[in-house]
Amino acid sequence: MGLKEFVTRRIIQIVVLYFAIATMLFFLFRAAPGDPLAAYIGTGFTQEQAAQIRATFGLDQPVHVQYWKYMTNLVTFNFGLSYITGDPVWGIIQDRIWNTLVLMGTSVILAYLIGVPIGAYLAWNRGTKRERFGVVFALISRSAPVFWTGLLGIWLFSFKLGWLPAGSMSQPGVTYTSKLAQFTSPDFLRHLILPALVQAFYFYSLPALLMRNSMLEVMNEDFVDFAELKGISDFSVMLKHAARNALLPIVTAFAVAAGFAVGGSVVLETVFAWPGLGREMVRAVISNDYPVAQATFLILAGLVLIANFLADLAYGYLDPRITYD
Amino acid sequence: MTLLEVNDLHVTYSGDPDVEAVRGVSFTLEKGETLGIVGESGCGKTTLAQAIMGALPDNGEITSGEIIFDGQDITHLSNRERRKIRWEKMSMISQSAMNSLDPVYRVKDQIKEAIQEHRDMSDKECYERSRELMELVGLDPDRIEDYPHQLSGGMRQRVIIAMSLALDPDLIIADEPTTALDVIIQEQILYRIKELQRELGNSMVMVTHDISVVAETCDSMVVMYGGELMESGNVDEIFNNAHHPYTLGLQNAFPSVEGEKRDLTSIPGSPPDLSNPPSGCPFATRCPFSAPECEEPLSTVEPVEGHQVRCHEPIPFEQIRNRSGKDETWLSQNQH
Amino acid sequence: MSEQNTTALDSEISTWRERQVDAWRRRIAFLKQEPMGLAGILMMSAIILVAIFAPVIAPYEPTETDYGNSLTPPNAEHPLGTDSAGRDIFSQLVYGARPALQIGLLSAISVAFVGMNVGLIAGYYGGYVDDVLMRLVDFAYGIPFTPFIIVLVALWEPSKWTIVGAIALLLWRQTARVVRSNVLNLKEKPFVKSARTIGASDRRIIYRHIAPNVLPLVFLYGSFAIAWAILTEASISYLGFGDPTAVTWGQMLQSAQQSQALARDAWWWFTMPGMAIMLTVISAFLIGRGYEEQLNPELQEK
Repeated sequence: MGLKEFVTRRIIQIVVLYFAIATMLFFLFRAAPGDPLAAYIGTGFTQEQAAQIRATFGLDQPVHVQYWKYMTNLVTFNFGLSYITGDPVWGIIQDRIWNTLVLMGTSVILAYLIGVPIGAYLAWNRGTKRERFGVVFALISRSAPVFWTGLLGIWLFSFKLGWLPAGSMSQPGVTYTSKLAQFTSPDFLRHLILPALVQAFYFYSLPALLMRNSMLEVMNEDFVDFAELKGISDFSVMLKHAARNALLPIVTAFAVAAGFAVGGSVVLETVFAWPGLGREMVRAVISNDYPVAQATFLILAGLVLIANFLADLAYGYLDPRITYD
Repeated sequence: MTLLEVNDLHVTYSGDPDVEAVRGVSFTLEKGETLGIVGESGCGKTTLAQAIMGALPDNGEITSGEIIFDGQDITHLSNRERRKIRWEKMSMISQSAMNSLDPVYRVKDQIKEAIQEHRDMSDKECYERSRELMELVGLDPDRIEDYPHQLSGGMRQRVIIAMSLALDPDLIIADEPTTALDVIIQEQILYRIKELQRELGNSMVMVTHDISVVAETCDSMVVMYGGELMESGNVDEIFNNAHHPYTLGLQNAFPSVEGEKRDLTSIPGSPPDLSNPPSGCPFATRCPFSAPECEEPLSTVEPVEGHQVRCHEPIPFEQIRNRSGKDETWLSQNQH
Repeated sequence: MSEQNTTALDSEISTWRERQVDAWRRRIAFLKQEPMGLAGILMMSAIILVAIFAPVIAPYEPTETDYGNSLTPPNAEHPLGTDSAGRDIFSQLVYGARPALQIGLLSAISVAFVGMNVGLIAGYYGGYVDDVLMRLVDFAYGIPFTPFIIVLVALWEPSKWTIVGAIALLLWRQTARVVRSNVLNLKEKPFVKSARTIGASDRRIIYRHIAPNVLPLVFLYGSFAIAWAILTEASISYLGFGDPTAVTWGQMLQSAQQSQALARDAWWWFTMPGMAIMLTVISAFLIGRGYEEQLNPELQEK
């Protein structure tokens, strides 16, 4: 089958999966102890707001009607109003989503930029002390919880050295013309470095160890020996033949990395007080702001699925043997 | 003019235990000639080929002897110096040629890579040359746009052969280039290789376990067993006038694609364990003619000029040859 | 049919058992050669002992406040200093090993159990059953891990059991996939085919024949599950969703951050709990990793 069919089939799979997750969430919230009505209608709501909520979610109606409303709301991005602030939830999400994406995107890219070459290097130096050390260090980085390394990073670079801000995304009081302007400003970048590096430090071991394993397999292949026979330099062989082939499985691992990164945003953003979806979700859950909690969770889940899909596409593109079956 | 000279070469693989795969082999190759190295699997012929090419695996090492190529001693060259010779002067078609192509690059790019590493040719020139090479081996030149998985095994083999010719090297080492292919393609490719060699004038070392291939394509040959040389000389001379029991046994065992149809008798028994090498003639335990003196180390005899045999001749060669023609000699022999 | 064939099967198993005992001896010998695995086992054992003997080791009650001595650096009385309420850091660390290990080990066992069974059943029966179970695995993979745990723990009560349950509910996915793929491989082996021809029931084949061969893999992923479970529990309690009655390392870090320990340079407060988490997690990883190195050649043999 060709590209088009593959894409459509994957999209359908993702959509089905997404609705399954949404359904699960729906029943989860209802199965939980506590009053479902109170879950949506905050005590501080006005009559109109309360009525609006009732209409949106069909809260007095039987379950299947509620479910139908829930699903249609989902499709139209109507997530109701925040229990705490009364603001439309979709607005809150729109405000936060790019903050999370930029932070997570940067972290994962950094993790890959650091991890993949390290992995190739470790494989090429198989059996040496350097390799042993590299593997152990990668394990260490994976064992140190992000909130701990984050705290240490803040203490060192902000409190002790004063080089970087102690958290949040930008200086209070500064406004920007657009999100893009904000993300490219030096102030933003100063705020971005530490959390991105901390997360990348936690993550790099995944691409590094995967790349190492993949390289080791590839290095045994005949075509690598053949390339050496042709007189190509060691470095070129490692890069053009071994690494290029070894990258294929790394790409799918990117999806896993992205999935965990998105999930990890709840912790990272809390440590650094970064105004993203993760932090918002934590706040919402703590304050029982169900609409926000539900919505942020669903958006996060959606992001993971999209990342998986993109990884599938990329893999197909990189490996000429794949014919999208 | 002698292109390649191998003198008393010893190659050992380190490991648990160490194995000496090549145990004192010497021969020469003249320019324009094809030399066949024939023997069963495990006799050391691939190791020999790899040693000459400088492509021994990490645990393999030339422990003594020398290899002189075009006047230069290449026995212990560093990797960097080897690379100057590789492909430009000496190329190799290995056993697993079909897997030698990188699956993620097109054929044309892989040929280009070989060329541009050693010559200063533009992309366009490489493209033209690649097409030429494909035609040389009888493949459709448009196929250089393909990826390896789009070509059949036989076609990939031919691509490798084409690549080995890309820089018109002085020496091509072919290690079982057709073993993995079916008989009909084998024929075609061997024929093609021979033609090309005549046309282009390269010298070749053909490593094979199939003595009939040697008969067809080689000018001179070397018979190996247990890491040692058993017989060597001109192909016609050896085929008509073989002296060594092992050579005679091989001739019995392989069908000649051209010759008359006959029953095959393989040589019973199996090659020696080289981690614990025998002291004398390695073939003694399987040889129907062996005698106590065969436990002494071998020395070279030259019954006819240019034709060398390493055998203790426990009974006169005449008798060996006569009796080898009979199947019972091989089937009913005593294992010592 | 049954009586005789069961005995035939049993004798096959008893020689198999002998081989397993021998295999275990080899494994222990290997572990001695494998420094990483050994280091992991030693570290983990030490931490387990600390957790068990916490009341004996800890000089103070972890919740015992002493406002007169708040935020003191390490000294003779308090080897690792005190926090903002005067509680002894060292004692908190020692007691903190308990919830970490309890949750880690319980989660890992649940993950191993569920994952192994799903993998066995999906791999062995194939077809419709396999499809359904694998869809379930895909579903589990589609759910972001930490957010889901948070939602579950917040909806129910933040007890140890909820946390264990939540972790187990998702983490089994990887073990299931890996076990299934191994089972697909093993299914075709002669010893399974001969068991079938003898007439052994499916259940017997799965649990007496295939399962033991899959155990090493389950153990491997179980070790990793311990590591992830401990990290997850730490994250959860850092965010404030942990068991409020327990003293946990994650919660210590949360208190530290909230009490401005960073600004106050109370390094003993914010470095030690993280160090404890890291050491525990790494010991689990080392065990798994050391085992993996040794397992790979075996896996290839199969």
